[in-house]
Amino acid sequence: MLGQPLLQVRELSKVFPVEGGRKLVAVDGVDLEIVAGETLALVGESGSGKSTVARCIVRLIEPSGGDVVIREESILRLQPSRLAGVYRKIQMVFQDPNASLNPRMSVRQVLDEPLKLHLYLLKSERAARVKELIEMVGLTAAHLDRYPHELSGGQRQRVGIARAIAVSPDIVILDEPTSSLDVSVRGQILDLLLDLQERLHLAYLFITHDLQVVQHVADRVAVMYLGGIVETGPTRDLFADPRHPYTRALLSAAPVARWGVKRTRTRLAGEIASAIDPPDACRLVGRCPLARPACASAKPPLLDIGAGRAVACPVVVG
Amino acid sequence: MSEALLEIEDYRGGFRTETGDFVPVLHGVSYRLKVGVMTAVVGESGSGKSLVALSVLGIQPPAFERTGGRILFRGTDLLGLDEKGLRAIRGAEISMVFQDARAALNPVFTVGRQLADVWQLHHGGGRKAAMGQAIEALRRVSIPEPERRARQYPHEFSGGMAQRAMIAMASLICQPALLILDEPTTGLDVTIQSDIMELIVELSRTRGLTTCLITHDLGVVAETCQEVVVMNAGRVVETGSAEAIFTTPRDLYTQRLLSASQLVEAA
Repeated sequence: MLGQPLLQVRELSKVFPVEGGRKLVAVDGVDLEIVAGETLALVGESGSGKSTVARCIVRLIEPSGGDVVIREESILRLQPSRLAGVYRKIQMVFQDPNASLNPRMSVRQVLDEPLKLHLYLLKSERAARVKELIEMVGLTAAHLDRYPHELSGGQRQRVGIARAIAVSPDIVILDEPTSSLDVSVRGQILDLLLDLQERLHLAYLFITHDLQVVQHVADRVAVMYLGGIVETGPTRDLFADPRHPYTRALLSAAPVARWGVKRTRTRLAGEIASAIDPPDACRLVGRCPLARPACASAKPPLLDIGAGRAVACPVVVG
Repeated sequence: MSEALLEIEDYRGGFRTETGDFVPVLHGVSYRLKVGVMTAVVGESGSGKSLVALSVLGIQPPAFERTGGRILFRGTDLLGLDEKGLRAIRGAEISMVFQDARAALNPVFTVGRQLADVWQLHHGGGRKAAMGQAIEALRRVSIPEPERRARQYPHEFSGGMAQRAMIAMASLICQPALLILDEPTTGLDVTIQSDIMELIVELSRTRGLTTCLITHDLGVVAETCQEVVVMNAGRVVETGSAEAIFTTPRDLYTQRLLSASQLVEAA
């Protein structure tokens, strides 16, 4: 890997207490690294813990354990007063721009707020920056005086993106940014994100369940299942030759919008297991077609298989 | 051309705003569902695809005003039927599966009871026999331990399991001639979605059902449907065989929708 990692997530875990003294393990020992300018996609189905990872990184949720390091500074050990400095480097775009934009603030106010909070600028400088931002995301100054309900879904997401890049972060966490959009708008938003990444040399942590989007935008992929990463590697290699049984099941289930594409599905039995008081075993145990007795007795670690790839399955690694 | 079970002819209408203005949203929609065929109605939000389907069963939003057109089922105009006439068609002849299955099920009755009640309503017989049919239907849609599951309430079902139960109700319990599915797998994970679509295809095939799949997901369409209707902004812009729509789309909007759905180059 080239360069010093911008963001390092080490052994991150998040446990929620549930009634009866039981524990819901939402995130269980996740390691991630992102270098400047790259896109890492965090992929998984509902309940995999991918959004919890994102929220722990920016401390919208307090992690239960592990560490998050941004530019060699641990944000989990920082005093709250110093967190603002970290948020200048890392920003987030949410899935539903309806819910994440204040309905009583005009677009101008939405974009001005982070500038006021983070940057020491004159009023005239802020106004110029707001105008620059709105144009960077493909809207015009005319949109600045509108309120979120006067915008389309795609325009609202553009505003959400403009807000995230307002303070010139190094890294943007995108949590399902295109999932509530129509496909024709999805493409435009992805093009915008790729364009901004190139212009601003942004790194993205792209959280999504949409495998087409992953192939379109990501340099590397980490596949999550039930709180843990089961496979990681460069996007092209991982899609061409998925190794973990869960990755295979996931990729082979995704339909393709083309005529005459034949898929050979890898099937898993049943549905995702409960994350409450999980046993010390492979997360896929009970569903996996390749399971052996040893899979039920210890949780397999991510095993390095070379070429930047790792798989948490001793059965396929051999 | 094979026989059509349902024909929508020049269906038009719109909504009246608070200020009394009339906003047309359907501009003369026409399409046909051929007997025994799985037809997809595809389009993005606001295309009117769901509104037309809801109109078939007379459950369009009350604010919708029809201004013209006919919906012919076996030659009878459904729009001319009164509530009693519609009730004889709903479920028995045409049944529908909605996107959010857990919201479509009644939260205060067990899943088995709901299926059994519908069985009795359509086929009569005793309660015990109806519950037997309910359990058999759950088994048929691959719900594990159907006897136990039948005694559970909708909130104890996952989204995928609830959708299986709804499909069991709409196809096996109601035994209709036409099954309409409105975004049946939207919001479900892909692995679950794939299993549900396989179930729908298998049920349609073995029971000779005429099926209408309303969806925004062209990936699902390519794998399951024989015929496609493409809608945009209240109009049908193109109809044809699935193969023709995917390989030689003629309408500009169809071409755009298709290329937006294919972010990744063919392998």
